[in-house]
Amino acid sequence: MSDHYQVPETPAQENISFELNGEAVTRSAPSGETLLDILRESGQITSARAGCRVGRCGACQVLLDGRAVPSCLVMAWQLPGHHVETVEGLNKDPDFLSVRDALASESALQCGYCTPGFAVSLVAGIRQRRQGSTVDLTESVAGNLCRCTGYGGLRRAIDQLSAPGYPDEADGQGASLSEEQ
Amino acid sequence: MAHENSPGGVGNLVTLDGDSIRNATSGMDLAQRIEGRLAYATDQRDLSGLLYGAILRSACAHALITRVDISKALEMPGVHAVIKANDVPGLNCFGIVIRDQPVFCDERVRYEGDAIAAVAADTPEQARAALDAIEVDYQPLPVVSDAALAEQQTALHNSHEKHGGSNLLARETLECGDLDDAFSRCAVIVEHHYQTPRQMHAFMETEGGVAIPDGKGGVLFRVGCQSGHRDAEQLADILGVAHEQVTVESTVTGGAFGGKDELTVQPAAGLLALKTGRPVMIHLDRFESCRTGMKRHPVSVKMTTGCDAEGRLLAHKAEAILDTGAYASLGPAVLENYLDHATAPLYRIEAYRVSGRLVYTNNGVCGAFRGFGGNQATFAVESQLDELAHGLGIEPAALRRINLRSPGDAGSRNQTVRWTAPPAGVLAAAVASPLWSRPDTDTGRWLTGTGMAMGAQGNGLGDGLPDSGGGRISLSPAGRICVEFGFSDYGQNIVESIIRSVCNGVGCREADVEVLLGSSRGPDSGPTSASRSTVLVHGVLASILPRWMDVVRGHASRVSGHPEEGLAFGPGGVFFNGRQVLSYRELAESASPDEMAASASQDFPVAPDSGQPVGRYLQLQIATVARVAVDRLTGRVRVTDLHHVTAAGRVIYPPGYLGQIEGAAVMGQGMALTEDMTTRDGSYLADNLDQYLIPTFHDAPLQRVDVLDDTPEDDPFPVRGVGELGIEAVAPAITAAIEAATGVRVRRLPVDPGDLLVAMAAKEQTL
Repeated sequence: MSDHYQVPETPAQENISFELNGEAVTRSAPSGETLLDILRESGQITSARAGCRVGRCGACQVLLDGRAVPSCLVMAWQLPGHHVETVEGLNKDPDFLSVRDALASESALQCGYCTPGFAVSLVAGIRQRRQGSTVDLTESVAGNLCRCTGYGGLRRAIDQLSAPGYPDEADGQGASLSEEQ
Repeated sequence: MAHENSPGGVGNLVTLDGDSIRNATSGMDLAQRIEGRLAYATDQRDLSGLLYGAILRSACAHALITRVDISKALEMPGVHAVIKANDVPGLNCFGIVIRDQPVFCDERVRYEGDAIAAVAADTPEQARAALDAIEVDYQPLPVVSDAALAEQQTALHNSHEKHGGSNLLARETLECGDLDDAFSRCAVIVEHHYQTPRQMHAFMETEGGVAIPDGKGGVLFRVGCQSGHRDAEQLADILGVAHEQVTVESTVTGGAFGGKDELTVQPAAGLLALKTGRPVMIHLDRFESCRTGMKRHPVSVKMTTGCDAEGRLLAHKAEAILDTGAYASLGPAVLENYLDHATAPLYRIEAYRVSGRLVYTNNGVCGAFRGFGGNQATFAVESQLDELAHGLGIEPAALRRINLRSPGDAGSRNQTVRWTAPPAGVLAAAVASPLWSRPDTDTGRWLTGTGMAMGAQGNGLGDGLPDSGGGRISLSPAGRICVEFGFSDYGQNIVESIIRSVCNGVGCREADVEVLLGSSRGPDSGPTSASRSTVLVHGVLASILPRWMDVVRGHASRVSGHPEEGLAFGPGGVFFNGRQVLSYRELAESASPDEMAASASQDFPVAPDSGQPVGRYLQLQIATVARVAVDRLTGRVRVTDLHHVTAAGRVIYPPGYLGQIEGAAVMGQGMALTEDMTTRDGSYLADNLDQYLIPTFHDAPLQRVDVLDDTPEDDPFPVRGVGELGIEAVAPAITAAIEAATGVRVRRLPVDPGDLLVAMAAKEQTL
């Protein structure tokens, strides 16, 4: 806009090594790049999605060392030595399959853009409970926004996941949803 | 499903709850969505040679442009193209009804979201850096920011011949009866001002997608939108190519609610793709989405309503101003639907005159949004009825009971209407809600109260607008029953609804059906809006399924040697005497795909009246009972429960029906309590979801949805669209509940906690 415009310097790329869905990976990125961009630029991770980029909507939620965090607020320099899990890597995780079945059977989604983020938050909550926490699963989704459903199906799914003994005594294999044919 | 007899013995009342929807779906589509495997328009990163586009937006809400210099931007690293107005080969404008919005402004900007230029570069960062190097000089113009004053101020569109260079875009009046005479006979008259906010759609996936050049001058768009066919026509005109050279696939869209009805990123992405010969992705960030995207029309209305001593509504007058922002978009149609709902379509009124003015301002752009003006009007109408009831000293429900229309009555615009249940039945079920018998508690800090409101909603574009839609059914080479419609899937459960209708009609399994949606190469179904797709899907399938089954049965008879009469459709294939004789795959292999296809297009049902149709023929109703708790300390309102009674024909897909009502209701709660994109001098004060607050899980109430289904057996239109019904009556139900809790009637949305506290304090002093 002004005559004094300076071409910004391109930030230096660094090799960032971390664990992604159980595998060691190294990505070249500026140290200030967000985990969300690092994940999406690879093309293989689509479950983490940009919704607000200020940590409010939860559409980019991933597990960082088992805790649910918005990946838009994690910087590349924070990643070395840490383990990132996305829905792509949770496909065989029994807790994720319980969450997936509960969300599907209660029709807890419409457009589905926010849904992997909700699933990640719920998996984190269930893991916390496994470790003896009495966390209320409704608290785990406090950082996730959904504009379609009005949260009715999510409430029913959380009720299902919060029932005594669930999911350990339930069929957590996701068989009801496995691909036909 | 929990069945119960509705109060007063009216109809079949069924509660849609977890038990009625659980496992109602195969979950195949849902599982894909949960696992993040479904590709949204903004997920397409694996295209070879993909470039990233970015759009330069205006720095001013209202200004003349005196210079645009892109030369420095062209020299920036990674930049492949920079384009502006003179690079548009075709029409440099768009708009569904009136094409008054420039693709790129070159003389004047009219809002902060106006586009001036666009860049394609190797990375998004390079594209954004190049935007900063584009030099634009502005000569500021006075900003028109107050809709009430807009007609006296600088005209935004001085070439707007129709209105002689004023900011008045449209005005319309609906009237019936002798209003002065009717007012003169009223025992009670109430007059109040109501104001509703500039609500933002806030879909989770912001506007975006890719444009892919075909190397022969044409472009394929994969982009979140609501009408592939209509967008393709407009884009061809902009790109200056033949209509056949543009294909739009609306893929899977992450929410729309009306906010993706107009073109968004498509023009810039398409032009950049043609200029560079490479695929170009543009995905707006939330800041840009907030600044540029359409909003709900804010409405300011003065309403005067009167009844006789027995509570019969005699006279009703409304004068409304709708702020349409910088460009027309669907503003004139929103005005029509606003006025339609301002006539209080559920109630008999002897005389009314409702009029509205739609004005241009520099406050963003307003357009289609779930409810489409209707819910703004219903908020005022239902509030007025409560005021009249208070004036008469009778229950609000009693006043409504006296005035509700009956089946067989004409609609409020004297058109024939088709209800699926008597409005009195809906009211009776709402009056019997268990929420009323919950004791109101005053815990010192929290005041609780219960209130209700009703609403009517019509399906279809209405008012004689061209409104038709088609579909096609065929047997795919893989042996699946393939159903095609032009509608977009943006999460409204249309796929499941189609699958359910096909399974019911054919007798096949869900796994036998494949649904293809949203391609401008497929059938033209018209826009995915106005709660019209469910009606058209059901109507078209009812027409083509029997024909298609005849064709396939005939073919199966020739192939299998069994007589046609004995052949029946079933899971996986065609059966004779209970035994499968041919699978759908074997059938598909025995013929070319076109041999076993059927298609049809039909007009949306309109009232069979003489002359130009007015209003809407297929009518739905809702009553919403709200229970709230008001915090005496902060003035904040919590909605603890919403209980809806709906009459909208038969339920085809229970999870979809329930989800649409619940989702729309919480959206209505947002409009009532927290959501408003306020502007100052034409600038939005909020630019992301941390400032613009949509309801969270913990804000959402417990909800119950009861369906009153008295649809006559011979109703030719037993299935209605419920995408907008749930938002209709929420806001006035909430303000009625607030009044029950505090004694204060709020007439301006969203409810301002500070104002509410002040009003509560004043109320307590006068007691």
